[in-house]
Amino acid sequence: MAKKLSKWLHAVLILFTLIALAACSDGETSKEAENEEEGSSDEPITLTFFNADGGEEKTFDDPVAKKITEETGIKLEMDYPVGGNDEAIPLMIASGEYPDLIFAKGDIGKLIEAGGVIKLDDLIEEKGENLKAMYGDQLDRLRNSLDDPSIYTVGTYGVENAYWSTSGTFQIQLDVLRELGYPKIRTLEDFEAALTEYYEKYPEIDGQKTIPLSLLGSDWRWLITVGDPAGFAAGFAGDGQWVVDEEAGEATYKFLRPELKEYFKWLNSMNAKGLLDPESFTHTYDTYISKLSSGRVLSIADQDWNFTDADKALVADGKEWRTYAPLPVTISEEYTSKSLKNYGFAGGWGIAISSTSEYQEEAFEFLDWMASEEAQILVNWGIEGEHYDIVDGKRVMQEEDRERMNSDADYSKETGVGYYVYPFPQWGNGAVDSSGQPITPNSEEQTIANFNSAEKEALKEYEMENWVDWFPQTEDLGISKHGQAFNYSIPAGSELQIIQQKADDLTEQRITQAILGDPANFDQAWDDMITELEAMNIEKANELMSQKVKDTMELWGTNE
Amino acid sequence: MSQANNASNTQPEAATSVGEQIQLGTGTGLRKKKKPSAGPDQKSFWKRASKQKALLLMSIPFVIWLIVFKYIPIAGWLMAFQDYKPQFGFLEQDWVGLDHFKDLFNEPMFYTALENTLGMGILGLIFGTASAIVFALLLNELRFMVVKKWTQTISYLPHFVSWVIAANIVITMLSQEGIINNLLTGMGFIDNPINFMAMPEMFWGIVTAADVWKETGWNAIIYLAAMAGVDPQLYEAAKVDGASRIRQMWHITLPSIRSVIIVLLILNIGNLINIGFEKQMLLGNNIVQEKALVIDLYALDYGIGMFRYSFGTAIGIFKSVISVILILICNGFAKKIGEGRVF
Repeated sequence: MAKKLSKWLHAVLILFTLIALAACSDGETSKEAENEEEGSSDEPITLTFFNADGGEEKTFDDPVAKKITEETGIKLEMDYPVGGNDEAIPLMIASGEYPDLIFAKGDIGKLIEAGGVIKLDDLIEEKGENLKAMYGDQLDRLRNSLDDPSIYTVGTYGVENAYWSTSGTFQIQLDVLRELGYPKIRTLEDFEAALTEYYEKYPEIDGQKTIPLSLLGSDWRWLITVGDPAGFAAGFAGDGQWVVDEEAGEATYKFLRPELKEYFKWLNSMNAKGLLDPESFTHTYDTYISKLSSGRVLSIADQDWNFTDADKALVADGKEWRTYAPLPVTISEEYTSKSLKNYGFAGGWGIAISSTSEYQEEAFEFLDWMASEEAQILVNWGIEGEHYDIVDGKRVMQEEDRERMNSDADYSKETGVGYYVYPFPQWGNGAVDSSGQPITPNSEEQTIANFNSAEKEALKEYEMENWVDWFPQTEDLGISKHGQAFNYSIPAGSELQIIQQKADDLTEQRITQAILGDPANFDQAWDDMITELEAMNIEKANELMSQKVKDTMELWGTNE
Repeated sequence: MSQANNASNTQPEAATSVGEQIQLGTGTGLRKKKKPSAGPDQKSFWKRASKQKALLLMSIPFVIWLIVFKYIPIAGWLMAFQDYKPQFGFLEQDWVGLDHFKDLFNEPMFYTALENTLGMGILGLIFGTASAIVFALLLNELRFMVVKKWTQTISYLPHFVSWVIAANIVITMLSQEGIINNLLTGMGFIDNPINFMAMPEMFWGIVTAADVWKETGWNAIIYLAAMAGVDPQLYEAAKVDGASRIRQMWHITLPSIRSVIIVLLILNIGNLINIGFEKQMLLGNNIVQEKALVIDLYALDYGIGMFRYSFGTAIGIFKSVISVILILICNGFAKKIGEGRVF
């Protein structure tokens, strides 16, 4: 037995080594083969594209992608960071091997510093006709910084956005509204009362325990479902972890503000009353989505893009009344929800072309083509006759496609319709094409047409056309002159970045503990956190960020 | 790959110690006597070398591997004393002396990370080793071959499950509607479900328990191999003297594998600070973060993740120094009690 066992063990070890060696050598040969393939000129060029946003593995072979290849001779090979981690870009820089196109989000500063991406100014000047037409006078907002006012990236956010939907606010199940006779819900107090009443009536939904409010605070989405809604409830605009006072040119780390304390104190009381899902800070994203999909979560505070899968699952199950309506809820009447605020074209993030790419020209031409009207219609609507028809000179989504779009989470991935809009250069939903039609299918008409039956009925009861009607309107909120603070590229390893990271790590932990703790200890816990933040020199970060806001407004020419 | 490495490092140790056992049984000292006289003599050195030609040749690839992958990269340590920016050449960097180390030692978070790393490392070492030895002992006593083989196979299957999946299993089991809480409430031990994953004081324990569940079977293999090498005559003699199964375990099996245990312990203690970060990252959440932050994760988030390669390197150097000190202490200790040592 002894001999047998250790022999067997050796065999396994040798096998492992061989496999490892084989795997290494295999990788190299296949890469070489690929390069040779790319050499021939008739074949479409394959550009590698890194998308820091994460996503599912996808090949570039859906109908829309094929059409793109046909038009441009470009194929994309898309790559994502595993589990949305932050280290992909630094590792890329360390290895010196870049994909052709990089969407680095906030890490673009690192790439610029490392010389990993090229300046696009000359290319835009020479042959960026479509990009120039798209960005117009907003082109300045693509510029990097006061010290280095070059353009390195294009894309990500729409130019000329209109606001027909909100995202990121509190959302309540339509059935709660129906059951309670469509009440007006404006403050946290109203919100809590509605949840309590419904919860008492229906402690169980479909045989499972009802969850009045669920959040997802176990990973980076803490910022989305805990941090951001706190700011929205306090009437702050969407500046991430910052509150910006444009008049004074001052930025403050959000969690230092007393309004935020008030909000979290409320969450703490919700938890003490058993209205907050006790697993809010421990369950994984998948668990969260499956809870939502089961229809037993009465309310959430989340961005639409974060729970679309659950929403589609509910519609597909015929549980329309279990989907959610956005609420303009703030701490009290004196605060106004800034959900419909116009931030202007946000600039900042975008797609860059790497300095090591063999196909820089081609890559740029590709990005420029993506900004053209033809391309925008293709990526937004799909292929004429296949996904949409022209009726009376107007584009209309085919019925089957529209239905799948609203109920099938894989629709966009399978057909490519809508898949290549973000983060590429894109027109906003308020833009119109040369014939005066909206360039994206998300026109107000379409948005309203896409509401499910329950939403339509609820809206009728409230005598509204669209959910945005009960939010403070865009015109009344003014246009942001500084964009959005979370969108700024902050120099890698700078004091601001380090302090903010430490502060974020601390607040996520301390606030979570305070929410779950005994209400009697909340004030103490909060004060302790502020003391810890001050010890981290958060004042210095405030100063640096204020400077950043001022610089941005100067760079964009919006400071006058 | 690193797993295979670890195993391949430790495997020869087990083999030699089994060899020693056999030597002990047959007649000691003969070979050992030759060594000191042969050492200084040049001629006999070459003679011996040519005798062991085949063995030396076989070891060359591994020595080269060691130099290329383990020694040459040490040059990168210089980075810790620079303000390294990857776009410049290695010699064009700014030299900043010990600044990064000063930053590191002034950072309270670093001490939290150090405490957590050593805490979970020590717990993992104690419970990991103990569970593997106990499990190997029990398996070794099983006389019913089919059951033994099946048990062993099943026990090391979790080793091949990735931590991503294992962590999800653990989180699901420990969730408020999970099986553990259902069992506890069902049997009336508690009234309300416990939110295990939201209790910082439980986190080290959860990580250790998950690790034991996942690795016990795998870690037991090496002890089983060592036990299988024990001379059956010893057991027969003990049986004649009337020793029970428990006595045999205590007086024969355990002492026979003592050197294996010590060698493995020394190697593991050297790795005490290198516990990785997957478990902690995957099982952790915002509530338990102060108990879950480990050095590797800190290096990743605040070093490489922020583009501070030099800072990350400084952390790496600190870790290596700690590892070497730990190994030296343990090796010295093993030498004192006269047991098998690493060097």
